Amino acid sequence: MYALADCNNFFVSCERVFRPDLNGKPVIVLSNNDGCTVARSNEAKALGIKMGVPLFKIRHLVEKHGVIVFSGNMALYGDMSRRVRLTLQEFAPSLEVYSIDEVFLDLHGMQIEDLSSYAREISRICLRNTGIPVSIGISPTKTLAKIASKLCKQYPKLQGGCYMHRPEDIEKVLRKFPVEDVWGIGRKTTPKLYQRGIRTAFDFVKIDEERVRRLMGITGVRTHRELRGIPSIKFEDSVVTKQSICVSSSFSKEITDCKELCSQVANFAAKAAEKLRGQGSVAFEMMVFAMTNRFRENMPQAYKSILVPFVEPTGEQRTIVAAAVAAIRELFDARMAYKKAGVVITRLEQRNQITGSLFEDSEAAERESRISYLIDSINQQYGHGSIRIGVQGDGSIHKLSEHRSPHYTTLWSDIPTASL
Amino acid sequence: MIPYEIEDNLSTENWMVGDVKAGFPSPAEDIHEKLDLIKLLVRNPASTFFFRIDGVSMVDAAMDEGDIIIVDRSIEPYNGCLAVCFIDGGYTVKRVEIHGKELHLLPANESNRSYKPIIVTPDNQFMVWGLVTYVIKKV
Repeated sequence: MYALADCNNFFVSCERVFRPDLNGKPVIVLSNNDGCTVARSNEAKALGIKMGVPLFKIRHLVEKHGVIVFSGNMALYGDMSRRVRLTLQEFAPSLEVYSIDEVFLDLHGMQIEDLSSYAREISRICLRNTGIPVSIGISPTKTLAKIASKLCKQYPKLQGGCYMHRPEDIEKVLRKFPVEDVWGIGRKTTPKLYQRGIRTAFDFVKIDEERVRRLMGITGVRTHRELRGIPSIKFEDSVVTKQSICVSSSFSKEITDCKELCSQVANFAAKAAEKLRGQGSVAFEMMVFAMTNRFRENMPQAYKSILVPFVEPTGEQRTIVAAAVAAIRELFDARMAYKKAGVVITRLEQRNQITGSLFEDSEAAERESRISYLIDSINQQYGHGSIRIGVQGDGSIHKLSEHRSPHYTTLWSDIPTASL
Repeated sequence: MIPYEIEDNLSTENWMVGDVKAGFPSPAEDIHEKLDLIKLLVRNPASTFFFRIDGVSMVDAAMDEGDIIIVDRSIEPYNGCLAVCFIDGGYTVKRVEIHGKELHLLPANESNRSYKPIIVTPDNQFMVWGLVTYVIKKV
């Protein structure tokens, strides 16, 4: 059996833990830079606020209904997610962290008599420990566990826990479950299925496996089997090393100065390089991009990117930052006002799997490696950005977060106050 | 591959080891025991939070202005517990007592009688947020 723990409206729930007065009120959380809606309370959903919609398009709703708006507070959400994971560890020997608000639990080998009440108990303890409401779905496969967890959100009577295992129950649920909401069925496949009259998960299960293979390939077959109760998607309990690392952000106001843009991009590159070394990888390539504000239709528009190949695969701070700055200088156009930029480091390889090259100046490489190591040690001990390369400026990224809540759980200066 | 070398070269510990090489090996070398305040004060890291104290209604319960309290959400509230309560939009710390069907929030300040118990009614927006386990104060 597998369980999926899915945090309900996670970012909104994190804000409500420290603002219980917002329970029952419409609340939304905005993305990086106060751009788009990335989380909505049920009340906000009921007002018709859609996922991903920019704030300026829903201003009227926000004002009319007194919707409470938060800027994303990633320090808080990351810490609350860690607390939920810590709590879940008590309930299963291995976890797969699927995303910031979803964790799979592998229940194999556990002797649990009543899985329904186990599911409710996990949900109850998560709520008690962290204040976050979590939906627990338990089923024979990961895909079915995901569906079971969705049922908890639809039916409050389940008290946050749903154990779905009897074939007749599964069939009943799949008959009503929209095929596009099944885990693994993408936006591209949905129209293909609709054309063939396949609208529910049950319609999908009823088609022949060979037909699924022709239509959707092996991933489709896996989903098909999972829905039939045959575990076919691997449980990934180890940390998966990322195949690309992206650091980007929109700016609080447009940047027209080349030097300022360089310093911002240098900070993105520095952060990406740190992450890269953190997972023990080196990269063969980096993509650097910058773009104007597409919502300002009266201004000249540009989206430009440059692909930088590295002669030798690298993870070094100075090499990566220098390459990013050189690229941004090349694509900078003084007539443009840049709203967003970023770096994407790609084609990663584990450092210890790289064999030295003939052309490499090993002494210089070793020196760079020592410098990176020292930068990482100092920044780990004294805080991110304590030591920087000159071009990074003061190390700050110009982000807009007008409505950000305090870092309640990660900064001493921000802990909540109790008035006596 | 390289990092460890740097550490070896720069760490003062190794200079010391060099100096005493010929001496008697330390019998405590393999003992990695140390006192960890967090381990003492935080029993359940998933459910432990920190709050700052503002006000003097709880001085007799050792809570003074500016102190930091450690709050554990995993402990079930009981009659007479010291708790961080959320009431009508704000946090307070009080002793929670059950009197029949009523919940009373009691201050702890004998020298100032103006602090009266709060009786929680259904009209209040109320919850016990977590239980106070430790008070950190600077003396």
